[in-house]
Amino acid sequence: MTSPMSCDDAKGLFAEYWSGSLGEREEIAFEAHIAQCEACRRDADQLGALWRNLELIPAEEPGPGVRARFYDSLAAFRQGMESAPKRSLRDRLMALWPAQPAWQMAISFALLVIGVGAGYELRPGAAKIAPDGQESSQIAQLRGEIGNMRQMVALSLLQQQSAGERLRGVSYAYQVPASDTQMLSALLATVNTDPNVNVRLAAVDALRAFGSSPVMRTAVIQSIRKQDQPMVQIELIDLLVDLHETDARPELEKIAADGQINEAVREHAKVAMEKLR
Amino acid sequence: MNATGQVTDNAVMARVASGEVAKMAVLFERHHRALYRYFISMNRNRELSEDLVQDVFFRMLRYRASYDANQSFTAWMYQIARNANVDQAQKRKAEVVGIDEFDDRRAEPASAAPGPEEIAAKGQNIALLKRALERLPDDKREILVLSRFNDLKYEEIAAMLGCETGTVKVRVFRAMRALERVYFALQKEKSA
Repeated sequence: MTSPMSCDDAKGLFAEYWSGSLGEREEIAFEAHIAQCEACRRDADQLGALWRNLELIPAEEPGPGVRARFYDSLAAFRQGMESAPKRSLRDRLMALWPAQPAWQMAISFALLVIGVGAGYELRPGAAKIAPDGQESSQIAQLRGEIGNMRQMVALSLLQQQSAGERLRGVSYAYQVPASDTQMLSALLATVNTDPNVNVRLAAVDALRAFGSSPVMRTAVIQSIRKQDQPMVQIELIDLLVDLHETDARPELEKIAADGQINEAVREHAKVAMEKLR
Repeated sequence: MNATGQVTDNAVMARVASGEVAKMAVLFERHHRALYRYFISMNRNRELSEDLVQDVFFRMLRYRASYDANQSFTAWMYQIARNANVDQAQKRKAEVVGIDEFDDRRAEPASAAPGPEEIAAKGQNIALLKRALERLPDDKREILVLSRFNDLKYEEIAAMLGCETGTVKVRVFRAMRALERVYFALQKEKSA
């Protein structure tokens, strides 16, 4: 049997009692204490009433300029970052290296095969680079195979069950040429249907590489209202602004006027419309 | 992800820390109102509070690399907010907005269609309670604002203040007792 609660013990439980967030056992012990302690019962009742009334003090709202100032500062900060020296080549390569040993081994093996193949093809006596500077057909074929391998790895990773693996798949998409329509379709499908918000956001970022594709631009415009997460919607709007996609204006206008859409997204759409004027 | 399907603050801030600074917009939309309420409760100055909100987000961008994704983002953010408030208080000569003028600019509290007398009495009580809160010492007002208005968990306040969670709960209780004393003193003053 537990010993009865003291007034000192009770002091640490009042706030949760007022908020109704005490655990069942604690609440029973606390109520047993206030039933036999008049001073604590008075505190529980009177301070509790004040605690509830605190909620009636209306929240002060900041002025509308706060949001505009923040987005201006953020844009300036991003601009400052972009003009700063980029990450080193080593850091960028390290970021692409997969964390899972199975993928590390698979890629190491593929690179070994490619290395041996390239060494064999380039050995003395094998086909040489054409004198007019054009690459030999073998080298071109090899490049094509590497491209195919990257595409295959990216597409298969995008189908994985684990969100981490799908994120890795998105990062591989950066290695695929911007003309790869299969990759573009896979990324668009990810943006529209992936259950994980982080994967969707990463896919939106990866779409930037396909900025010259009208198909991609149209799909992005159509995707905004399909999204259930404001963060993804904001990211898609930002992408359209960065691409100076003026065709997005009618859709942004609809979004800004749609009361069903998150307020922050509507505000963002309005700002984007101004930028795309 | 949290229970409402949103990406957690910690995860978003981790992305900001890794260089995706545009994601700070998400955290701004989620927290700038609560931060503003914290500042306005502490310094009673609208313009300064708006500046401090900007300052907090700028500091978070600037010191993003120091963010530890294993710790509560909210506690980290309010720690920065506290520092910004203290720095500012040291710099400035307090420019306090008069209480009555301040009250005039507020929206009325929402209620379920009470009669005019009830509205008046309730409004007076709330105005008095608000005035009592303003008269509390900074540390007591701060702990009530954080726990009652800004919905910080006691664990987060403890991490922010560098003390035990149990100490925070006892301090909330003491702050409420102090608030009650000031509230009744004001009520007495008014009826005298």
